[in-house]
Amino acid sequence: MADIVNLMELESGQAVRLDNDATAEIVSNPGDGVWLFVRYLSHPDDPAQVGVEDMVFAQVITEVLSE
Amino acid sequence: MTITFQPSAFSGLVDRDNGLVSREIFVNHDIYAEEQERIFTRAWLFVGHESQVAKPGDFFISSMGEESVILCRDRQGEVHVFLNSCTHRGMKVCRYDEGNTPIFTCPYHGWSFATDGSLVGVPYYKDAYHEELDKSEWGLLRVPRMTNYKGGIWASWDPQAPDFLEYIGGFRTYLDILFDGWDGAEGGTEIIGGIEKWLVPSNWKFPAENFIGDRYHNISHRSVDLVGIGPSGQGRRDNRERDGAKSLDVSFPERGHGTVIFLRPADAQPVQSYQNDPIVAEYFYACEIARKERQGELWRILGGPGTIFPNMSYLPRQPRSIAVWHPRGPDQTEVWRWFLVDRSAPPEVKEFLRQYYIRYSGPSGLTEQDDMENWNYAHAASRGAMARRLRYNYQMGQGYAVDDFEDGGLHLPGTVLDTTKARAGEQNQRTFYTRWADFMAARDWDELAGWRNGKSANGHAAQGNGAAGR
Amino acid sequence: MVTDNVTANDAVARLLLRQDVEAFLYHEANLLDERQYDDWLDLLTDDVRYWVPMRRNVKFGELEREFTREGQDINWFDEGKPTLIQRVQQIQTGVHWAEEPLSRLAHLVTNVEITDVQPDAADAGEVSLRCRFIIYRNRVQTETDILVGRREDTLRREDGQWRIARRKVLLDQNVLLAKNLTFFF
Repeated sequence: MADIVNLMELESGQAVRLDNDATAEIVSNPGDGVWLFVRYLSHPDDPAQVGVEDMVFAQVITEVLSE
Repeated sequence: MTITFQPSAFSGLVDRDNGLVSREIFVNHDIYAEEQERIFTRAWLFVGHESQVAKPGDFFISSMGEESVILCRDRQGEVHVFLNSCTHRGMKVCRYDEGNTPIFTCPYHGWSFATDGSLVGVPYYKDAYHEELDKSEWGLLRVPRMTNYKGGIWASWDPQAPDFLEYIGGFRTYLDILFDGWDGAEGGTEIIGGIEKWLVPSNWKFPAENFIGDRYHNISHRSVDLVGIGPSGQGRRDNRERDGAKSLDVSFPERGHGTVIFLRPADAQPVQSYQNDPIVAEYFYACEIARKERQGELWRILGGPGTIFPNMSYLPRQPRSIAVWHPRGPDQTEVWRWFLVDRSAPPEVKEFLRQYYIRYSGPSGLTEQDDMENWNYAHAASRGAMARRLRYNYQMGQGYAVDDFEDGGLHLPGTVLDTTKARAGEQNQRTFYTRWADFMAARDWDELAGWRNGKSANGHAAQGNGAAGR
Repeated sequence: MVTDNVTANDAVARLLLRQDVEAFLYHEANLLDERQYDDWLDLLTDDVRYWVPMRRNVKFGELEREFTREGQDINWFDEGKPTLIQRVQQIQTGVHWAEEPLSRLAHLVTNVEITDVQPDAADAGEVSLRCRFIIYRNRVQTETDILVGRREDTLRREDGQWRIARRKVLLDQNVLLAKNLTFFF
């Protein structure tokens, strides 16, 4: 439980790390506990994604970077 | 939507000429299953009221036939109706009754849909689907036909269904009484919060035919009439405005809709009603004067209970409400009831009506409790092997209706049975079951829209589309 | 020692009050089950509030919208004594078909907790309590409803006896599974 991020507790402006090591800032939280709307801060696999907005799935979010 | 096989199995169940209807159509499971295909996927169904989804992201979960649907307003402000079933594995994407949301996310595998129905979130879209899934093809199933008529949201699953206004035809004159303000202002109504939902152990057609114009069942309500819950402290409604009025049963056999109305004399003037509360009395009196000014001769029409085929019924005056009889198997109906008030009415009027609605309607209402008892046991006593061989009798007033009713220069749309002296008739019920038989027999909307060629699917003469007027 | 005596007296007062309140609730339930509706009406204050909201399925974090609002929304019941009297009168007409023949009712009241006493337990004038109920209704031949929920009551002592000044009923159903609510909670 401790390692699993509960999306319900996250807010816009917080940053998360994904399982591909990309980091992203939360643009908005739809509150479904399953998805976040984010903007990439870093994206090692595809640097062109930095600044791009995306929906990310709960199961690929590994860590909350900022409170 | 085209029905592929011939429905000879259903012929003879409704004997229109003799006013007889087989009990099988109420209790038979196979017929019930066919109704879901032939009626509820083709007819226009009432879904909700626009005031329930006032803001972008607002949603209200409704039902079309047996199926859950989502009524919602998208980010751009457009209203939609979708099947509430994930396109991946069918899970309900929304199990809340109402609310506001940016997306509908399926809790099973996580597919997520925007409020315009488009599929926007697919877990592991790159890795598992290799980005080959065409998301544009897998949005929520959207009703092909939807309309907002004076705030009422209606939908049909049949792309070939006629426009809603063609579907209701001349009945529009009467439906307007429900959705317009009391002063006649177009669509001047809103919903009071709280939708009643309850189960009645009866076939859905019992309440639908009751509301289409069953004046005969007054004895059902003897107890509430004795107690007196009406807005003027007597009876169950306020009937002063009906003084001197004609009682008319109006129906549209080629469409299946019907209502009872009261037609005031040509020289009638607004009367004071709802005398228990001076603010309420004053409001309605002022509205009546304004409506007379606005509508002229049509003001003479006082609306009564009605049914839009197949399963939307309403009371247009007081209590002002909409009921939808959702089929839940041949032996069970889930009733949903919306209550309407004038948007611009003062708070005292809305509160007065709210209290009256609660004590009149629904499972806690002193009036409707007795209806449910009758529908329950009428249905139960019609299910047996012997009982279902009988037919219900709908012969009252047969042959006495006219298609060109005129009174004091006012021509009324529809087939009219004058029940002023007779007190009751079953023309409207015959209309309902005639249309039921049409739907069960017709291959498609070319056959169902019989008014276009002057013949209905059952071959009876169809009637024009004309609105009321001199 | 004074303090201990006060504490003990207070505990006894609370125990007696609890006994008194429970006895009242069981007596009330019995009147309803025995169809002594006029006697039941006498147990209500003239300004009684009787409220049974409808209940929505709402999202986590939005529970404040779960119940329809008293005095604003459509509720199953939201009324005072005049309408409750009319409901009794209707049952007593003998032609209220939904209660003719009369239903068989059993009100089971349990989990009684006193949540507030005014001014104090030894001289209680008003008591707030919560409890659970099961209402079993059986009518005609096989028709049976079981309704379960919570109740929040306020009792007021008038002329030396408890009367119900407020009753809030939280029914544990969304779509009402009973065809009607011809009985009292």
